[in-house]
Amino acid sequence: MNEKTVLIKDTTPGSTTGTKDFFDLFTSALRESRLSDEVRVVRAADIGVYNHGIVLKILPENITYARVQPHDIKRIIGVTLKHGNPIRDLEYRPSSRQLRLVLRNCGRIDPENIDDYISRNGYQALYKALQAGPEAVISELKTSGLRGRGGGGFPTGLKWSMTGKSPGDEKYMICNADEGDPGAYMDRSVLEGDPHAVIEGMLIAGFAIGASQGFFYIRAEYPLAIERIQKAIDDARAYGLVGERIFNSSFSMDLEIRLGAGAFVCGEETALLASIEGKRGTPSPRPPYPSVKGLWGKPTCINNVETLANVPPIILNGGAWFSRIGTESSKGTKVFALTGKIKNSGLIEVPMGTTLRDIVFEIGGGPASGKKFKAVQTGGPSGGVIPEHLLDTGVDYDNLQRLGSIMGSGGMIVMDEDDCMVDIAKFYLKFCVDESCGKCAPCRIGGYQMLHLLEGIAQGKGTLEDLNRLRMIAKAMQKASLCGLGQTAANPVLSTLRYFEDEYREHIVNRRCPSKKCTALLRFVIDRMRCKKCGLCARTCPEKAISGDKDRGYVIDATKCISCGMCFEACKFGAVERN
Amino acid sequence: MAVITWDDLTALQKRRQEQDTNWIKVGMSTCGIAAGADRVYRALEEELHKQGCEVQLRKCGCLGMCAAEPLVEVSIAGMPQVIYCRVDEATARDIVRGHVCGRKILQDYIIDMQSEEVS
Repeated sequence: MNEKTVLIKDTTPGSTTGTKDFFDLFTSALRESRLSDEVRVVRAADIGVYNHGIVLKILPENITYARVQPHDIKRIIGVTLKHGNPIRDLEYRPSSRQLRLVLRNCGRIDPENIDDYISRNGYQALYKALQAGPEAVISELKTSGLRGRGGGGFPTGLKWSMTGKSPGDEKYMICNADEGDPGAYMDRSVLEGDPHAVIEGMLIAGFAIGASQGFFYIRAEYPLAIERIQKAIDDARAYGLVGERIFNSSFSMDLEIRLGAGAFVCGEETALLASIEGKRGTPSPRPPYPSVKGLWGKPTCINNVETLANVPPIILNGGAWFSRIGTESSKGTKVFALTGKIKNSGLIEVPMGTTLRDIVFEIGGGPASGKKFKAVQTGGPSGGVIPEHLLDTGVDYDNLQRLGSIMGSGGMIVMDEDDCMVDIAKFYLKFCVDESCGKCAPCRIGGYQMLHLLEGIAQGKGTLEDLNRLRMIAKAMQKASLCGLGQTAANPVLSTLRYFEDEYREHIVNRRCPSKKCTALLRFVIDRMRCKKCGLCARTCPEKAISGDKDRGYVIDATKCISCGMCFEACKFGAVERN
Repeated sequence: MAVITWDDLTALQKRRQEQDTNWIKVGMSTCGIAAGADRVYRALEEELHKQGCEVQLRKCGCLGMCAAEPLVEVSIAGMPQVIYCRVDEATARDIVRGHVCGRKILQDYIIDMQSEEVS
């Protein structure tokens, strides 16, 4: 018998000793069967399955059993460990699992070692592309159905063929790595973990459109990504994979890095172009599109990091292979940065069409502290919230748009019952107001006015008429703003209004914040029964609104209280109540 | 090096794949470093040196399980390839002494991912 390894983890919520107990049972059963020397038993910290009781994973067969009971141990040893056969009724089959295509090398290879990348089929796609010719590459991309991963979802093959057909002997290829959505870091991770994949994607794209110069536009806040991309470009150049006559063909292309200085709007392609040219980063009206008149007036193709990282596998395995992954309108996989009130925050990659429920509960492990799930926010400041009853929607470009959100670049923020939707809308709108470049009036003025109305509602000064005003301004911004930032800035407000209007009304009519987040609407009182008279709240209060002493106890003077909530945070006994 | 050819590429790939065992990888992207991966890396380096182990120590990017960083992946010939999570300096030394030298997987630190990979 070969050596086997069994991983054990109790995934029951709140269980603390389950893993240990089962481990002990299992090891003593092995001793009885005289298998202790051949089978390694290991308590796992995390087994990638959640809320499924005791979970076992058997290596090297890679069999996972869920909801295992103590009486199953005997047959697991007899059937699987002795004979290597799976037990069908115990096997765990997840409704969906991660598929790592863009992240295929992330965490697997040394990003600073080009040989590591080459050992995972690196630069073979580039060679294949150079052999096949630009038309064949573009046609392969069109077959694949790959759409831009930066958020817009424009078909990549079409973009390449448009830029390729634009007249001009000088063309540019740009990689947009100005990732700025709060809570999103997919591109950073790819740049840091697999820089050569993006470079290979850039070279293939440059070859397809006829460019001989490429730029990485990376935000300066990503120092490690910049360092690794620079090293990767240098190493590739030393191998002759960047520069003159690549693979001894007639194709030459050089790559350079340009740094973004931190403006969110510079992720918008026309503003990005202005920024590379050394001008102020403000968008300009389209048409003309960059594919016709882009960088320094020359035809330019701009692709997002994740889009480019998809290119080498498409060329290697074929467009038809890629188009078999995903849904009818959205092919391939999508990387999401799962953050917020979620157990396993991190990066995940799933095939398009995976349901939000699977992403949040199966892969993400559900809300962090066992609190009730409320909504998930997708698409960052340009997206919207999706409430619980729509969680069974499969994620793709069109489905999310239908729900009033967008795919965006892939930020996914999970919110639980403690999150107030008015507060969330205010947060995202504030972000867009701060980042608005101010060039066009709808975005500059509309955003500010909406934020003003939201702040009023959060302070209990709103009226029901404000809700209509918000909708009206939002519509004007969507229709009349110059670029994507202004056109989508109102989305978080509109989607929270669409699914959580009750919460807005509660703030306005009853002057109450159901999630107890809008502190201006809260009243703080000290519960005399629970108060231990320690005086910590009185010492913490910045307004000296809490009086009393260690004998009589403490009271909050409502006329002085500014509802900052510091006493609530400070009290160790839960004696400060907020209503 | 002169311009690389297809044959160079495949020869290099073959050579690398043949040597691919007996290594330790530490996730050293921004998320890993923020969680202390550089300290873990140094501890592993020191301990490997102290124990005189013939094991390659490598840096790699982010596997995606950012909540569980720092992550350390270990591949030793004849043992399953595993990933340790929430590794600190003390655990790093235990990995070298227990897993690499003692050929015993450490309890309570393994993390497993239910995923498929595309080559």
